[in-house]
Amino acid sequence: MPDWKTIVRERMSSPNSPLNLKEDVIAELAAHLEEICEEARLCNLDEPAAINLALQEVDDWRVLAASIRRAKSEEDSVNDRTKSLWLPAMANLIVAPGLLMIIQKLAVQPRVLWIGDMALVLYLPWLVTLPLFGGLGAFLAKRAHARFVHRLIVGLSPALAVLGAFALVLPVSLVIDRQAFRHFPFAYFVLTICNWVVLPAFALLLGTLPFLGELAALDTQRGTT
Amino acid sequence: MTKRIRSKIARGSGELAILSILSEQQLYGFEISRQIGERTGGALKFTLASLYPLLYDMEKRGWVEGRWQANHAGRDRRYYRLTPNGRKQLAPLKKEWRTFFHALDTLAGVSHA
Repeated sequence: MPDWKTIVRERMSSPNSPLNLKEDVIAELAAHLEEICEEARLCNLDEPAAINLALQEVDDWRVLAASIRRAKSEEDSVNDRTKSLWLPAMANLIVAPGLLMIIQKLAVQPRVLWIGDMALVLYLPWLVTLPLFGGLGAFLAKRAHARFVHRLIVGLSPALAVLGAFALVLPVSLVIDRQAFRHFPFAYFVLTICNWVVLPAFALLLGTLPFLGELAALDTQRGTT
Repeated sequence: MTKRIRSKIARGSGELAILSILSEQQLYGFEISRQIGERTGGALKFTLASLYPLLYDMEKRGWVEGRWQANHAGRDRRYYRLTPNGRKQLAPLKKEWRTFFHALDTLAGVSHA
């Protein structure tokens, strides 16, 4: 009986594609060929014919090696979403609020707009820079071939994160201390949402828009492949 | 275009065949290929080259999991079994194929051919 592992190892490697298949893959394929060969021998084939029959299982070893590498690679399935959605969104989520914190640390005074007895607190330098961050996030997502929805989510991620926080914190606070909300009129919550979600989202969207282009062509192409 | 459709059909039928056979018992590659061949009267045939890329891809997607263990002859073989996620795929895949064959039947009467 030939050494099937050596045969598989040799055939799966080529000068242009250095062997990087794990030994357990080679062992598994070798075991498969070994069983075909043994079964052929039981059917009274002589050894060279049985070996030949086993080797006929593979037309092109380099194609097989490439298919296995592709199938084994985590890159294409898991990392695609990470690269096109999570990483750009994380970058945007760190940089945009980070800048707001720096602005607050530098004691830059916000512009306060009074609406009745409620205040709209605007950090204008921050709002002005938000289109840049929205654009940066959407650009990174687009570079990673993100689809339209993902580019939009990445661009708006700082505003969406705040919206998520409100959606989580407000109901929980309501359950914990219902009385605390008695002092705040409904308009106060609307204003807060406008202040920290709607206005930033609008500013982020301005920067995101240029990177939402080619959406129809790209998404149609995805749908048909 | 035709080649792509054919390749997708082959791949989809391969996935269903493997999931179906592994839903009954855990098997290693050679046995999977042999049982599929035997039970379909040779109509479906997996070579080593067509089986393992598909198995590894299904493993990556979390549909099957492989584990080395000794077979009845005491040799180490990589046995595959269905994961709960793989089991969940089986019913929708069957339904898809049923719809597909029904459509072909309506169009070309293939079930009576």
